[in-house]
Amino acid sequence: MSRPGQTENQIQNPLQNQSQSGHFDADTIRRGALACLPLLPSTIIFGAVLGVLAAQRGLSLGELLFMSLAVFAGSAQFVSVDLWRETIPSATIIIATAVINMRYILIGASLRPVFRGRPLWVKVTGMHMVADENWAVSMTQKDLANPGFLLGGGIFLGVVWATGNTVGYLLGGGIPDPEVYALDFAFTAVFAALTIGMWKGKVDLLPWIAAAVGSVIGHYTLPGTWSILAGAGAGVLVAALTWREDMDDDSLEAEFAVEGRDAYGAPEGTNAAKPATETAMETGQ
Amino acid sequence: MTQFPDLTSFSLEAVLTILGMAAVTYGMRLGGLLMADRLPQHGRWAHVLERLPGAVLISVWVPSALSAGAIGITGAAATVITMALARNLFAAMAVGMVLVGVGRYFIGN
Repeated sequence: MSRPGQTENQIQNPLQNQSQSGHFDADTIRRGALACLPLLPSTIIFGAVLGVLAAQRGLSLGELLFMSLAVFAGSAQFVSVDLWRETIPSATIIIATAVINMRYILIGASLRPVFRGRPLWVKVTGMHMVADENWAVSMTQKDLANPGFLLGGGIFLGVVWATGNTVGYLLGGGIPDPEVYALDFAFTAVFAALTIGMWKGKVDLLPWIAAAVGSVIGHYTLPGTWSILAGAGAGVLVAALTWREDMDDDSLEAEFAVEGRDAYGAPEGTNAAKPATETAMETGQ
Repeated sequence: MTQFPDLTSFSLEAVLTILGMAAVTYGMRLGGLLMADRLPQHGRWAHVLERLPGAVLISVWVPSALSAGAIGITGAAATVITMALARNLFAAMAVGMVLVGVGRYFIGN
């Protein structure tokens, strides 16, 4: 994905080394796609199950594929297609989608370091193909992943997801039961495994326990996917309460910090990121 | 298969519903990022934001492991342990999934 002016930006960018180079370069997109390869079997089967369901509910294949690429959120699509009728209950479906996908506010927020110092157009284009899976894979990259890596995983999952939809829709049944091959467990497994990569030290312990406890309580007391918000909320609360002045670290997050306003508002290509020390000096912190 | 599914049939109602779904979903994805951009880069908020991905991730899989029963909990534990030891996503997933698949075959849910 080469754009005019991209090379200039790269040269000007002081953080050009490692993951910071380029916004969406082809090699990074390819690496991001490959990193999501373990999710291929389960994504294609669940895509097919959705295809079967969509055919029963009277969506055309075109409408289903349009939904898969425009909404690109598995669990919300399952609920929406399930609610779909001859007279479409649009309001119910859109509200259900909003509730189920509310976690994307948190997922979007947590992507701040991935998009740090990038122009607004990169954020606008890079945030669409963000599913739970490629988000989790990107967040656990050793050298903090860049938007291209995230997008690569998203494109890969989108293609696989839409392929599964089409296969299921055309077959109209006869899809193997995901549970028999534990394919339903693949999503649990990938998120459980990637949690290890998110460990940054002892400071994570209490918020993580709070998140686990909060989500389990939410699971038994709240409907649907509210348990995710309950768990994340508990984790955030405990993180806020356990913060101490001396916890400000020199990790990548802090080291490459730029003022959010600058990064957000800067015109394209002029927002060269500054190291935290410079920014801190300027703002007198 | 009686008829070939029509790729080009779009009802206005369906398209508008899907656009509505897409708008709220994308709005929350981008909105979350832009909001976080406006939070301070140091101190309590930055610390909270750094804990956020782990908290979200745990909240996604812990309840689903629980609802998969004893086999699910065992599978998740095996996945986490394999990942901690081998640092290999594929191996960790394989161990968990094989365990759950075999467990379901022999023990049932």
